Amino acid sequence: MMKNFLMILAVAFAAMLAPAQASASEHDEGKIDPKEIIFEHLGDAYGWEVPFDHHHRIPLPVIVWAHDGFHCFSSARITGGEPYVDNGVEFKLAGFDSPYKGKVVEIVDGKEHRPLDISITKNVCAVWISVALVVGLMLWLANFLKKHPFKAPRKGLGAVEVCVTFVYDGVIKAILGPNAKRFAPYLMTVFFFILSMNLLGLAVVFPGGANLTGNIAVTLVLSVLTFLVTNIFANRHYWKEILWPDVPMWLKFPIPIMPVIEVFGMFTKPAALTVRLFANMMGGHMIVLVLTLLIFIFSAINPYAGGLMTVMSVGFSIFMLLIDVLVSFIQAYVFTMLSTIFISLAQEEHHEEHKKDESEAKAIVEEIKDALI
Amino acid sequence: MELFTPDFGLIFWMFVAFGVLFLVLWRLAWPVILKSVDERADLIDKGVEYAQSAKAQLENANREAQSYIEEARHREADILREADKMRTQIIEEARVAAQGEAQKVMDAAKVQIAQQQKQAEEQFRNQVSDFALQIADKVVRGQMADPRQQAKLVDSLLTEIEHKN
Repeated sequence: MMKNFLMILAVAFAAMLAPAQASASEHDEGKIDPKEIIFEHLGDAYGWEVPFDHHHRIPLPVIVWAHDGFHCFSSARITGGEPYVDNGVEFKLAGFDSPYKGKVVEIVDGKEHRPLDISITKNVCAVWISVALVVGLMLWLANFLKKHPFKAPRKGLGAVEVCVTFVYDGVIKAILGPNAKRFAPYLMTVFFFILSMNLLGLAVVFPGGANLTGNIAVTLVLSVLTFLVTNIFANRHYWKEILWPDVPMWLKFPIPIMPVIEVFGMFTKPAALTVRLFANMMGGHMIVLVLTLLIFIFSAINPYAGGLMTVMSVGFSIFMLLIDVLVSFIQAYVFTMLSTIFISLAQEEHHEEHKKDESEAKAIVEEIKDALI
Repeated sequence: MELFTPDFGLIFWMFVAFGVLFLVLWRLAWPVILKSVDERADLIDKGVEYAQSAKAQLENANREAQSYIEEARHREADILREADKMRTQIIEEARVAAQGEAQKVMDAAKVQIAQQQKQAEEQFRNQVSDFALQIADKVVRGQMADPRQQAKLVDSLLTEIEHKN
């Protein structure tokens, strides 16, 4: 029943869109630039698009530290590309030929100069929406549990609680053991923050749609935090393993080969975290964008090819978005799990370390396998 | 390449946003949620443990009850057997006692009967002797009406006395 309905919907879409799009593409500049469109959608912006309208955007505040101090104005003043003078300083969005393409620049003596930019961009706004979402959900859950101790919530809140116990019991307690209580707040926050950003990114219109976890700045901050937590709370044994590991003397003195490798390893872990989350989420967004753009590319060639492509693209897009929902969970889970493992490795005591390392490594491999399947 | 260059503004706001999120959740949400989840897990564990122990206890109690029943049956059988024995014993005793009593009664009756018989015999003899005397009286009176006869008797009596002496 549902399947048939979706098929009909897709065909109707195709029939409606294909000729319209064909004529539209003839009227426009003729050619579309897929790369530009994809990068625009993956990247950040000073306003937030509204559906079905290319000219209006939800304006967001631009906050910059220019050469003479702070400036704050609405992004609606500059998104058209025109310059705007705020308190005697001229600002504009840098053009396509500029190295600061698409960013706010101040014009000093006719030259573009990039100010320190802490604008509430689309991504920043989406970060705050995620924060609000997570805070709302968790306070709701906390409130429920305060009112009804020993009662499991049902329905929506039950789903939130399932995620909580899934991460807390399945990952944090399982890996950290007695240290779980200490690091759970950080790890749980990370999990739900990433999860909400991932899922909001998949929603197409306003409160969602920002490619947050597919932005390297976001994942970088998260993995830097994990790096900080790991190293700040690390025990003596962890530092000893890095600076003076159990290897033959010639490997650490006079040339400290192993310590250098270990120190390098300290930084590769968060780097791997950064890139894994970033690449996975950006990949998902990019595939959907490419599938959608295929419709326009094919329509430009032949309206009927475009129509056929619409059906296929919509089908594949739905499929990809469903997979992305799964990936959202898996990536949030993997990020949390790897953070937990890095933290637990820095908490480990000296005794029976090899055995534990081995079993832990095995457990990690198993978990990753499970996660990837 | 712009995808791979992190933007300063976003990094700054991410730190701020994560800080705020962490502080809020750390203060207000996680303690309550994690405590509750832990406590519930404990409760469930304890509940399962309790149920298991209760089941074991129930089984134990059942077994105990079974053994009590068994024992009670044994005792019942013992009591019955003993009661039976006692009954036969009592009956035996009663019979013996009754026999003795009966014997006594019978003996007494015999004695009495014998006594009465004797008495009756005596009475009978007395009566018989009475009758005999009366008859003799009558006979003698009839016979003694004749004086010759009287003389003859006196004579024979005298002879008798003579013979005795």
